[in-house]
Amino acid sequence: MMIGGEHKAIPRAALAECWSCKGPVSVQAIFCHTCGAAQPPRQIDHFARLGFEPGFDLDIDLLEKRYLGFQRSVHPDRFANKSARDRAMAEQQSVSLNEAFETLNDPLRRASYLLQLKGQTASVAKDQTVDDPALLMEAMEAREALAEAESVEAIEKLAIKAGADAINLLSEISKAFAADDLAAANRLTTRLKYLRKFLEETRARRVALESF
Amino acid sequence: MAYSQQLIDHYENPRNVGSLEKTDGTVGTGLVGAPACGDVMKLQIKVGVDGRIEDAKFKTFGCGSAIASSSLATEWVKGKTLDEAEQIKNTEIAQHLSLPPVKIHCSILAEDAIKAAIKDYRDKQQVADGKAAE
Repeated sequence: MMIGGEHKAIPRAALAECWSCKGPVSVQAIFCHTCGAAQPPRQIDHFARLGFEPGFDLDIDLLEKRYLGFQRSVHPDRFANKSARDRAMAEQQSVSLNEAFETLNDPLRRASYLLQLKGQTASVAKDQTVDDPALLMEAMEAREALAEAESVEAIEKLAIKAGADAINLLSEISKAFAADDLAAANRLTTRLKYLRKFLEETRARRVALESF
Repeated sequence: MAYSQQLIDHYENPRNVGSLEKTDGTVGTGLVGAPACGDVMKLQIKVGVDGRIEDAKFKTFGCGSAIASSSLATEWVKGKTLDEAEQIKNTEIAQHLSLPPVKIHCSILAEDAIKAAIKDYRDKQQVADGKAAE
């Protein structure tokens, strides 16, 4: 399973040609600054698409604000009187913006995508087995403890601990990326995946217990 | 697509669920995981004096295909020598259970679990042989 698209980091200042006026236009531009025509989404990474430098630390409020603003600018209502080609461009932009936002908004997908941009395949994006005995041991013990938890309180306790671990993990992942230690970032991202899965299971088990 | 009868059978009536004593010198433990799904699988073998696998147990926290794959793996390794058990291929597991393409990695996990358990057993034996030679 691949998470995100096959994007490579490309120079952000690169120029393309506007399909409408043939003038030069930035690869990041949604609209041509000369003629105003909506541009096709070009091969740029998700960070560039939403106006960020690639990095794990992201201002999530700003990310959402930009995403919503960009989406509004390509909303179909604005293109009702435009040509079919303009409408198609706007639609494609909307799809690309959506994919970029979905990828960057989730720390797990963001980490996996960032590893990919840096030329690494994230373990969580591979059909391979984990080679991290400590992590597997921890995951097995956690799942066993969950299987044995017989009360909502006991499950809640496990969930709270896992939730706190997941938050701590985010700052560890951030540090690993800041230090450009991609091996560590990759390992920690896999850990985050396991914690997420565990949290999902605690919710499922709670629902199962409460429905009796 | 519908899952095969074999898969559903192994999922609903998994064989050999449980644990063997990890510290037992005749027991090999394989612990593997699929990072793409956050699954974890433990497969253990107990090797008899004749060198054949006399018992096998598994514990899998994962999807139905992962559970069925490991259940089938424990059935298949029983009675086999280590060399024979090592020959079990994920493709055979996938074929027997008719796993859909997106679930092939579950059978890879089971194959890796068998190999890891055999390796753990052999490592233990080597340590034991080393001690005996002293």
